[in-house]
Amino acid sequence: MSDTSEQTVDQAAAFQKIWLDSISKLMQTAFTFGTESAPPELLRELRSGIFQAWSKSWEEYMRSPQFLESMKQWMDQAVGFRKMSNDFMANVRNEFQATSREDIDNIMLAVSHMEKRLLDRVEALSVQVNELKERVGNGETKRPAAKAPSPKPGQPKYSRKPSRGNGKVKAL
Amino acid sequence: MNDATTISNPWIAWQRAALDETFAAVGRMSHFPMLLEKARRIRKGVTPSEVVYEEDRLKLRHYITDAKPRYRTPLVFIYALVNRPYILDLKQGRSVVANFVERGFDTYLVDWGVPLYADRHLTLDDYINGYMVNVMDFLRERTGADKLNVLGYCMGGTMSAMFTALHPEWVKNLTLLAAPIDFATQDGLLNVWTRPEYFDVDKFVDAFGNCPAQFLQGLFTLLRPVGNLLEKPINFYEHMHEEKFLDDFLTTESWLNDNIPVPGEVYREFVKYLYQKNLLTQNQMPVGKHIVNLKNIICPVLNIMAGQDDLVPCSQGTPFNDLVGSKDREAILLNESGHIGLAIGGRAQREVWPQACDWLAKRTN
Repeated sequence: MSDTSEQTVDQAAAFQKIWLDSISKLMQTAFTFGTESAPPELLRELRSGIFQAWSKSWEEYMRSPQFLESMKQWMDQAVGFRKMSNDFMANVRNEFQATSREDIDNIMLAVSHMEKRLLDRVEALSVQVNELKERVGNGETKRPAAKAPSPKPGQPKYSRKPSRGNGKVKAL
Repeated sequence: MNDATTISNPWIAWQRAALDETFAAVGRMSHFPMLLEKARRIRKGVTPSEVVYEEDRLKLRHYITDAKPRYRTPLVFIYALVNRPYILDLKQGRSVVANFVERGFDTYLVDWGVPLYADRHLTLDDYINGYMVNVMDFLRERTGADKLNVLGYCMGGTMSAMFTALHPEWVKNLTLLAAPIDFATQDGLLNVWTRPEYFDVDKFVDAFGNCPAQFLQGLFTLLRPVGNLLEKPINFYEHMHEEKFLDDFLTTESWLNDNIPVPGEVYREFVKYLYQKNLLTQNQMPVGKHIVNLKNIICPVLNIMAGQDDLVPCSQGTPFNDLVGSKDREAILLNESGHIGLAIGGRAQREVWPQACDWLAKRTN
């Protein structure tokens, strides 16, 4: 038997097991109630017991390797389908000489990388400027009173980043 | 219905009960036409607020009150990037925000807004060292306070912890509400489902861009399939004629179904570095070019958790207090509550929030 069919059989067996477990728990629940309660209350108690039994069985099932494997297969299929539809739409747009989502993504990524490089450079320059200030300060401090400028309390440790997306910053 | 218990013949008792249930069902059905109208009238957020700062999709709300704030240090709520933040101010008597506003805290809330496809490249670094830094900087300028009180809910709590570790000089007190920190635990189903052998987050994000809202919605429903798909509708059907129940139900449900996508790169980092590698507790979590070391958190810490939380089991939050460098650290565990109940539940409103307000008041100027 191939791996795929073995997996399918395993998954089917695991699914069958949760129903068998649920039914056995349901029967246990049903027989624990006496006939003395009023009918609606009896039914509610019975229902609550049934739901508890089901919850336990489903929790166990959703942790089982068979469920995880079937979820993985489902996710792989969803991702595959999405990729296929993305490629198809990109081809259609390209044929019409329109901009595809992939093109926009690439431009955004390039802008984002450029922004990151610029910010890193600004941060490095800021460190250099601070060092220079300190040196200039030290040069002047031949007189004992002067001190290198100390950061204000609570001054940001890391550089403040500019806004992203549409770049709108509004203090109202 | 009580008469049924006094009838000795069980056959007649069952018939009587069936008849009563039929009448009750007809009575309940008569409420159906009004449901839509009631659902339309649901308000999102009750405490008056104004937007004081905007940046891209982000909005910073300031809660307005007639009384002058009693405490100079402002309090900022950091919400998650999943779902909408109005759960913290859901309705009268069930608002976390109102508890703090009424106690005299100058209260703000960060609403991240709804990310567009264009935001798929935003990373945790953009949110923590970008937006959060800008918000805190703005608030320090606006209020004149050197430090701020931060309260993070769920994923917002994790982000707040990272922010505090990277910028300890800015945070006066840190409060975490149902925040996942230790991802090694397998108590929650999300931790099991995201194991690297079963979930390839790279493939997923590369194909979908942002993590779709419907996908998250489906996952959250599957955390309690019997409760969400069977018990909840039946419970609703049985109580739909009760005004208070209906109001609570519709308000909560409209929030639960108001899911938003998560920016793809943030989702990738969160799943890969936290759910799959658990880097935060090992002090190896990268945020941009910085590494988060939780030992850098030296401010007072309050960690609030729920005992019945399916989304963030309390075993994910408990280790936080042992991982930080603070000496002043406290935890509140509400055993009977779930993830949302911790914010809007009756017991949380009566017991947890007054206690949290006291804790913060003692440590605020």
